[in-house]
Amino acid sequence: MIDEMTGELSKIPQQAAEVELLDLELKQPKELFRILFYSSPIGVYIVQGGRFKIVNHKLADILRYSEEELVGMPSLSLVHPEDRNAVKECAVKMLNGERSSEYEFRIVTKRAEIKWVMETVAPILYQQRRATLGNLIDVTKRKQAEERLNQIANEMQRSNTELEQFAYVISHDLQEPLRMVSSYTQLLAKRYQSKLDTDADEFISYAVDGAKRMQTLLYDLLEYSRVGTRGKPFRLVECKDIIEQALANLKVAIEESGAVVNYDNLLAIMGDEGQLVRLFQNLIGNAIKFRGQETPQVHISARRRHNVLIFSVTDNGIGIDPQHSQSIFEIFRRLHTKEEYPGTGMGLAICKKIVERHGGRIWVQSQPGEGSTFYFTIQVAGGESA
Amino acid sequence: MNCQTAERPIEILLVEDNPGDVRLIVEALSDGNVDNKLHIAKDGMEATAFLNREGKYADKLHPDLILLDLNLPKKNGPEVLAEIKEDHALKHIPVVILTSSQEGDDIVKTYNLHANCYVTKPIDLEQFIRVVKSIRDFWLTIVKLPAEER
Repeated sequence: MIDEMTGELSKIPQQAAEVELLDLELKQPKELFRILFYSSPIGVYIVQGGRFKIVNHKLADILRYSEEELVGMPSLSLVHPEDRNAVKECAVKMLNGERSSEYEFRIVTKRAEIKWVMETVAPILYQQRRATLGNLIDVTKRKQAEERLNQIANEMQRSNTELEQFAYVISHDLQEPLRMVSSYTQLLAKRYQSKLDTDADEFISYAVDGAKRMQTLLYDLLEYSRVGTRGKPFRLVECKDIIEQALANLKVAIEESGAVVNYDNLLAIMGDEGQLVRLFQNLIGNAIKFRGQETPQVHISARRRHNVLIFSVTDNGIGIDPQHSQSIFEIFRRLHTKEEYPGTGMGLAICKKIVERHGGRIWVQSQPGEGSTFYFTIQVAGGESA
Repeated sequence: MNCQTAERPIEILLVEDNPGDVRLIVEALSDGNVDNKLHIAKDGMEATAFLNREGKYADKLHPDLILLDLNLPKKNGPEVLAEIKEDHALKHIPVVILTSSQEGDDIVKTYNLHANCYVTKPIDLEQFIRVVKSIRDFWLTIVKLPAEER
């Protein structure tokens, strides 16, 4: 909302000579301009010498003044004081042809409301003198929606971080007292087993077992919360190395079950090495743990779609009923009793968290008795949007 | 064998505020044939008073081994460690950090303060006892320590 006569614009004339002016009076039909001007749903104005010369109805409507009140008023006076310098700068650049995109700022209406508007300006000749033709629309609603969205996003981010921190502190700090409970129940068992009566033996064994299970739960919960709070920066990692490490960690389970694990030649990916090892380890570990009658066969492969690698870990195990294919990724979710298959129900939740930290997603395709294939996506290293 | 073991029992200073842990360590150390005498300091101030033979500790010997927890009231573990390692009369005494912290920062920090080793308290009782015994056996029967003039 500025023209060549205000502010820094007084220095412009030489440069402005190079800008092609749209001479409405000489080259365009007056009538067309008049119709466009008065019926436009956009606020349109001409400013000359820093003051409104002509305004349309819509502009008056946005600014809450009458058209008569606006004519002769210094245009910059309607701009929010904090935005005046920025508006001047943008307008000067645009009038000089150095800027082509619209700019946004706040205005103060007659009723002292603050509105967000978006504007473009063009240099014109009006009554044989240089002037500025401006187009302005009210974007307050969009701005408010954006701000609200930003607020919500920030709030979500904050509460997520807090929750992770909370889970971390809880699982970390509960370990200490639990270590006492667990150590002393174990000591009781060690020293007094079969020296009291059979009831006492049974009670002690439940206490020992409960404390041990709680330790495993806390340990897994701690690991889960660490994915977000204690992650390492991403670096280039070879999938082969990751899988080999995971297999080394699973050595005992592989040897005991006679499992055969093979994998294709895979591309390098960007990620947190320790977390990716844990991801493969959990998936391969599950494939072996939930095996059927046959010797476990696990195959890992990946195919590329654009910048994303879709990994698959396929097994010949007991499979999963499709109705559980979402819920198995929730924390503490278990489909079997601990007598059938031991575990805390955290393994796949940790996998999901790791994949999500790497910007991917994880899902499963399976039928009971027909094995399972777990898929997850990871960005290809050096991919354009990686 | 440590030079002094023939003449007198091994002196161990345990700096630990949790009585539950103190008792577990006592249980672990009482098992076996290493003749040791355990002194307990419940916080960092007590530990430095003991080591400097202040007040009621005037007649105490310097310990042969120090087991030091990190989270201690009054004066924390790293402060006690720094004082020991800056004191010419004390810095030769091996200090074993025995803590529940697994934080990488704590580990680096204590080694930089010249801790002799850093051990995380195992969660499982059997492992805990095994670890305490192996600390004792390693530092008191396997390594050679300087003989102290008393």
